Order: sequence, then C-alpha cells, then structure tokens
Amino acid sequence: MSVNDKNPGFAGDTGEFPNLTEADIRGTAYVGTRPLDGGHASVAGTMPYQLATRGPAEGPIFTGPYEERLAKVISRYPDRQAALLPALHIAHEVRGYVSPEAMEEVAERLQLPPAYVRGVTTFYTMYNLQPLGKYLIQVCTNISCNLCGGEDVLHAFLEATGTEMGEVSADGLYTVIEVECLGACGFPTAVQINERYFENVKPADVPTILEQLR
Amino acid sequence: MAYPYSHPSEVRILSKYFGDPEARTLKGWEARGGYQGLRKALGMERGDVVNEVKTSGLRGRGGAGFPTGVKWSFMPKDSGKPHFLLCNADESEPGTFKDRELMRWTPHQLIEGCLIGAYAIQASHAYIYIRGEFFEPAQILARAIEEAYAAGYAGKDVIGSGVTLDITLHLGAGAYICGEETGLMNSLEGRRGEPRVKPPFPAVSGAFAKPTTINNVETLCTVPHILTNGGAWYRQWGTEKSTGTKLFCVSGHIARPGNYEMPLGFNFKEFLYDVCGGIPNDRKLKAVIPGGSSVPIMAADEIDVPMDYEGFVAAGTMLGAGSVIVMDETTDIIRQVGRMVDFYSHESCGQCTPCREGTTWASKIYRRIRAGFGTEDDLQTLLDISDNMTGKTICVLSDSCAAPIVSSIQKFRDEYLAVVERSEPVVAEIA
Ligand SMILES: Cc1cc2nc3c(=O)[nH]c(=O)nc-3n(C[C@H](O)[C@H](O)[C@H](O)COP(=O)(O)O)c2cc1C
Ligand code: SF4
Ligand code: FES
Repeated sequence: MSVNDKNPGFAGDTGEFPNLTEADIRGTAYVGTRPLDGGHASVAGTMPYQLATRGPAEGPIFTGPYEERLAKVISRYPDRQAALLPALHIAHEVRGYVSPEAMEEVAERLQLPPAYVRGVTTFYTMYNLQPLGKYLIQVCTNISCNLCGGEDVLHAFLEATGTEMGEVSADGLYTVIEVECLGACGFPTAVQINERYFENVKPADVPTILEQLR
Repeated sequence: MAYPYSHPSEVRILSKYFGDPEARTLKGWEARGGYQGLRKALGMERGDVVNEVKTSGLRGRGGAGFPTGVKWSFMPKDSGKPHFLLCNADESEPGTFKDRELMRWTPHQLIEGCLIGAYAIQASHAYIYIRGEFFEPAQILARAIEEAYAAGYAGKDVIGSGVTLDITLHLGAGAYICGEETGLMNSLEGRRGEPRVKPPFPAVSGAFAKPTTINNVETLCTVPHILTNGGAWYRQWGTEKSTGTKLFCVSGHIARPGNYEMPLGFNFKEFLYDVCGGIPNDRKLKAVIPGGSSVPIMAADEIDVPMDYEGFVAAGTMLGAGSVIVMDETTDIIRQVGRMVDFYSHESCGQCTPCREGTTWASKIYRRIRAGFGTEDDLQTLLDISDNMTGKTICVLSDSCAAPIVSSIQKFRDEYLAVVERSEPVVAEIA
C-alpha cells in the first residue's frame, strides 16, 4: 500500500494532516448558507447551479429572490450581455437543465436574440440541455486520474447505478458521465457529484458514496 | 505546513497556510500578516508598484511565463478609458491543481493580489473568472469577497485611500478553451469562449474592448508578498531568470502527490525521488510530463535538470503551469497520449481548420492503433498532422495537442511499433 491510499473522507488526501475533517477541507462552516438572492452583488452570480434540490418546475424563472439576484449580477458589468452566463446558471439551478423555454426567458431578460442565447448555451458543457438524474455523477478519466484507475471508478459507478453512460437511472436518481480534468489531479480519482467534489475515490468507495447521497 | 504533504526543501510563501482552516477567514488572514501588501501599495505611486513587481522578476504562472511587471507596464497611462484586471482561475489543464488549493485555503491572498494588481494597472474593477466546476472554491471566495467589502478593503475609498477597487467573481460553465486569455474575455462578455485573433492585444483592447491585463491565480497570489517584503527579497530564491518560488502539482504514479512550493532551479530528479517520495510499489519511472498535458513528455533518463523555465526548455520541454504528471514503467504510453488527444479534440473550439480537423483525426488514429488496426505509416501520418497543427492557428491549443504526440513518438517509438506490429486489440472493448 502506498501512502496515497489513505482516504480522509472524500475531500482530499489529508496526508500529514490527519486531524483535518472533511468540513475543514471543504470550508463548510466558513461558507455557511448563502442566501437565495445571491448576497453581495459582487458574488451574486456564483451560486452552485447543479443541485439535487431545484426550484419550481414551471412558471417564470426570474421571480422573487432569483429576480433580485439577476438584477445584482447585471449591475456588475458594463453591459447586459455579460450577465448571460450568470443568467443561464440561474435557469440551470432552478430547473436542473436549460430548456428552450428557459433560453427564451433569459434572452428576453437580457434583451438578446434567442438564437444568440442558444448558440452560447450549447458551447458550454456544463449546461445540460435535457433533464438528468437527481445526482449527476461526473468521473474524471483524464490523464492523472486515469493513471490511478479513473476508468475503473467510472465503471464501478455505472455498474452500481445500473446505467449506461449519460442515461438516467430507472429510479430517476442518477446520471453517470465521464468528464475532463476536474483540477484535482493529485487526489485521484476525482469525481464531481452535483456541486461537490469527491476526491481519492476508489472503486470500492462507490457504494458508500451512493449511500451517503441518499 | 503544506497540505497534504510537506518537505524541508520547500520554501512556503504561497502555500504556508494550506491545511490551516483559520487562514481562510479575514480575521485569520489579517492575523497572519494579510492585507499589509495592499496597504503598502496604496501608499505608493501606481508606477512604483509595477516597478516593484518588475524588480522581483516574477513570471506568469499560468503557463507562458511572461514577466508580470513587464506585462503590467504595457497598459496605457491615463488612457481616459476604464481598465480591467482579469484573474484567470479557469484551471483546466490536465495535471494542474494548484489554483484550487490557493483558493480553497487562502482566498484572501488572491483577493489582495487582485486589488494590488488592479491598482497598479489603473483598473477600478477586477474580475475573477473561475471555472464552473469549482463550485466549492467559488463559495469560499464569494464569502471572502463579501468579507473584504465589509471590511473596506474592496469597494469605494479602499481603506481610506480614495481609490475605488471593485472585485467581481464570475463563474464559467465548462470549457477548457476559456482558460486561453482572449477566450476568457469572450466568455466573460457573454459570448462563446472562442479565442480572438491578436492583435489587438489585451493591453490595447481586451475585455469589453478596454485595456485589460490578465493574470493567473498563482501569479496574483504572489504579488502581496512582493509588495510587503520588496522585489529584491523575492529574488533570494530561484535563479537569475527564474526568480522566486513556484507551486508544482504532482500527480500520477507518485508516493506523495500534492502541491509543493519549490525554489525555482531545484533539481527535478531530486524533487521526484526525495521531495515527493519517488515511485510507489517499487516500480521504475518511465516518463514524466513536467508542465501539464500541453508540454512535451520527458523520458526517465532526461530528468536530471533544474526546475525552472530555462532548464526545462533546454531539456526540450516546458515548465508550463508546473503540473508534474508521473508515469511508472507499467504505463501504456499510447493509451495515455491517446487520452490526452481525445481531450484536445473534445476541447477544440473549432474555429481553425488545422486544430478542429487535426485533433479529430489524431484521436481517430489513436483509437485505430489501439484497436489493432494501426500501421507503421500511421506514425508518420501523426507526425505530419502534428506539423500542420503547430504554429498555424489562432491559439496554441492546437500546438498543445501536437506536443505529447510528437514527443511520445520520438521517445517511445519502439512501444508504438510493438503495438502496430502486433496488430491485435490492445484493449478488447475499443474496436
Ligand atoms: C488552451 C489554453 C488554455 C489555458 N488555460 C489556462 C488556465 O486554465 N489558467 C491560466 O491561468 N492560464 C491558462 N492559459 C494561459 C493564458 O492564456 C494566459 O497566458 C495566462 O492566464 C496569463 O497569466 P500569467 O501571465 O499570470 O501567467 C491557457 C492558454 C491556452 C492557450
Ligand atoms: S487553435 Fe483550436 S482551440 Fe484555438 S482558436 Fe483555433 S480551433 Fe479554437
Ligand atoms: S486528471 Fe482527473 S482531476 Fe485532473
């Protein structure tokens, strides 16, 4: 067994820091709960947008706190177009994906042509264009993770959820996909599940992680 | 202390507080000497701040290694236009995971660097563009930015100086190419993240068509220390041309993976075997990529070189972002290079034909070779495609894809030949 087989609880190898908790590494206490209206305008466009719990499935997206948040975001840029990505994030956060109707609503709010919004939305891989499982499981199979067994972890997730890559599991809970480097290469395999990273994941950890999600 | 591992040969300036959750908070950061660099900078002329950074010799840590102070001095003086500072926190180069650690452990270090940088280049607004997947570090930074505003370090009249310095955190949406500086500008403006043709250069017309400077997270995190202690102080580490310290992110087949902050010029072999604990499971080293997936691969017998910009260039590769990917003797080079090529093919923005077509064809050829249908001619075809992909496109993503192909064929030709001669699937499921 090499030193890097120590697993500290899916937030990274704690190495010489055995006393660090998962919460210490994630900074959960420091961050606390961020308000739905986005808090300070300078950071209002940065709420996580791939979440298990979503907003209402119908009706306008930009109402109440979401509308307030969008207004704050717009105030931070020289023009409205720059608020496009943050506005799409909000749509994604509320609905769990970006539908053609959502793109139209964003276009209207930012006074942009709908076709333009569509062209931008489809450029970025994090905007899902269809509804996915409640938990989107993204396994890194890029080089550093792959050297340490990334593909095995991917297969373990596919097997444990009984899905093919990209499909929604029968119970609607999971979608498993392969992802490019997550920027956590020293903690292989890196897996992103919705807004959270799970680091140092080995195939044997997969059942525990799925259990933890429920 | 340096989470997760440390070594006495490190010089920890940026990473001193990795693994210390208290250093995250504003109070904790101030107690550790934070925001002294900003105070000092605001008491200086802007041009003197630029000069201090020039004196330090600090070079950009995002990959290209351009001297930071010189880059700042390209900004026009009294242009009458708004200027912008952009912080590149898109960290997506395979093998790179230093900026995430900087942001999750020391968010105020980055904020302070951005504020000083903005002041130096006459910008009143800095944007931090953080990759979309980094939800967790983004929440930590968001909290820290709110603290900085509440304490008067950001906003109007920063700590009584009369200077306005705004800072906005902007979250991306998954696209490696947004790490390229002009791709990032387009993305920030609400466009597809396609790189722009240069000129015009960012210092003339960058974000929102205004004079703009873009710097990497690690570069900006170094700036407060230079201001606090002076440019000459920073030069006590490193070499004449590669001054100071740099984070090296070590991953792959290595006993103690993680970030190590090393004085530039340290011996690479000693680094791998002594500092990082060598190759686990009693195996031998086969190859190592010293600077992220975009730089040429080194063979095991080439690693006795100094870890600095010049040392790696002399060895036919590059320091890049300092992302060291270690591969032991069991590594299937063709599989791993093929995986990197798939990455570039997926991430090519498609504007330039050599890149769009070249990455796609190269990826198909790697699949074919691994499926057992490769021929010796394929190697020449890969080299020809790579040649067409180098120096012929808007950005260097295309060149980056060619680097591992060419270097691996040069250095591991026998391994390629063994596979094409065997002509049977190396991996059954790929056919
Ligand atoms: C395809 C591509 C991707 C890049 N990705 C990043 C990145 O994720 N982070 C980064 O800091 N620089 C990245 N760069 C380099 C930037 O273009 C730019 O040189 C850098 O941010 C400048 O900052 P520096 O002078 O502080 O190094 C990338 C370049 C290319 C061509
Ligand atoms: S080289 Fe590739 S990624 Fe860069 S602009 Fe051209 S097509 Fe896009
Ligand atoms: S290679 Fe998996 S996180 Fe970077």
